[in-house]
Amino acid sequence: MSIARAARESAPIFMSQVLSQVPNEAPSQVLSEVPSIRVAGIHKRFGPLEVLRGVSFDVPRGSVVSVIGASGSGKSTLLRCVNHLEPPDAGEIYIEGEPLGARVDARGNRKARSLAEINAMRRELGVVFQQFNLWPHMTVLGNVIEAPIRVRKLPRKEAVAYGEECLRRVRMIDKANEYPARLSGGQQQRAAIARALAMRPKAMLFDEATSSLDPELTDEVLGVMRELAADGTTMIVVTHEMSFAREVSDRVIFLHQGLVEEEGPPGDVFGAPKSERLQQFLSKYRKQ
Amino acid sequence: MSDALKQSLDLSMFWEYRAILLQGLIFNVLVFLCAASVALSVGLGAALLRINRLWPMRLIGTLHVEIFRNAPDYIMLVWVHFVLPLLIGIAIRRRVEFHPFTSAVIALGFVYSGYFAEGFRAGIQAIPQGNLDAGRSFGMSERLILWRIILPQVVRRMLPEALNLFVSMFKATTIVSLIAVPDLMYNVSMVIQQEMRPLPLYTGAAITYFLLIFLLSVGVRHFGERWRRTSMA
Repeated sequence: MSIARAARESAPIFMSQVLSQVPNEAPSQVLSEVPSIRVAGIHKRFGPLEVLRGVSFDVPRGSVVSVIGASGSGKSTLLRCVNHLEPPDAGEIYIEGEPLGARVDARGNRKARSLAEINAMRRELGVVFQQFNLWPHMTVLGNVIEAPIRVRKLPRKEAVAYGEECLRRVRMIDKANEYPARLSGGQQQRAAIARALAMRPKAMLFDEATSSLDPELTDEVLGVMRELAADGTTMIVVTHEMSFAREVSDRVIFLHQGLVEEEGPPGDVFGAPKSERLQQFLSKYRKQ
Repeated sequence: MSDALKQSLDLSMFWEYRAILLQGLIFNVLVFLCAASVALSVGLGAALLRINRLWPMRLIGTLHVEIFRNAPDYIMLVWVHFVLPLLIGIAIRRRVEFHPFTSAVIALGFVYSGYFAEGFRAGIQAIPQGNLDAGRSFGMSERLILWRIILPQVVRRMLPEALNLFVSMFKATTIVSLIAVPDLMYNVSMVIQQEMRPLPLYTGAAITYFLLIFLLSVGVRHFGERWRRTSMA
């Protein structure tokens, strides 16, 4: 284990504490240094199986971080921990400096958040699932405006207007009144991306968004994701699409057996992999 | 054709008493509507208990379903009307009596709540976890997920079975005459006691029930299926 990694895992900096010590006159400078998402020492265990064994990394605002790794390396679990769909056993997620699972009071004491508070934090992260998970009893537009109306309490008119804008962005506006069952996988996934965008999240999380699509349908989804990245959307992308990760990411994280085995800019990770495990992993993809 | 048969097919007597018989039918509909509301809401409650995380809750839910699903509605009706008030009376040391209408609604509502609970439970458990994950990931509360994501899908899945249950339930409303709810069958027997001509009156009642239930269920099936099919996975 590298010294840097050991330091990161054992002593994550609590940004809210840092923020509270900073004088009021220079908040903009400090805010720009607060990562959009900070993953700090996440552990997760399912019974005897330790899936995540202390994962830490930062996602600066406007950047794209890709998480790669073999099946079972903990990638999807990691993403589910980031928005507490799976509450981590140890460690913390910070969204713009605010811990997601706990609150830090004025004295610096940590107190676990209630489910309602976690819900309020969760809406800041838009999740796109491998299986799309559109609600089958609602039209595409119905799916897109549901959470903005019910959770963000937007007036219906406003939600529809912005929902349609999101559908235009993913080129699904002509299918706004269709039910999900009548759409192709690629169309369903683009609708799911629009649904996540409609909540105006601070960051987007993609959980193998193209893994259950036929090869000819992955491109339309990757295209939309590429555009989002180009627009400066903060993104964590769990993916098996190596060329996409290489092209779009600012940083790539290679997960192996629940730990960050190697990380760096895509040029380094793909061009000059240091660890043997990463070299093995990448050679499998090159052969394909 | 024998005289008896001719008599049974002569419905003029039934028509003659149409006002009082219609009044009875309205009672059937009222009992049905109230009992259906009880069955749906108690059934949903029992279903939620059956899938609760805590085992004592699950036990209560299972007991509810098993007791009411396996009790004949006829016996339940008599028990609720005559025995339950006695038990309550002993408990609170006061004389208690149920209005026949109340007893009918409670008995039928609870018997059918057992069936509805099973329908709700199966429907809820059939919803893919991903649907719920999506809701949670947008910060929806469990309550919001239940009302906006789970139940609308459960209703679509349950509709054909629920329609069958409603039909049997409406037919079961004919036994409430047993405890003197003035429904169609009760009024028919009153008229028979006066006129001494059971055949045309019973036949008329049979045709009335058949037409009403048949037309209603055809209508519901027609509109329900179209709505259900366009919006199901």
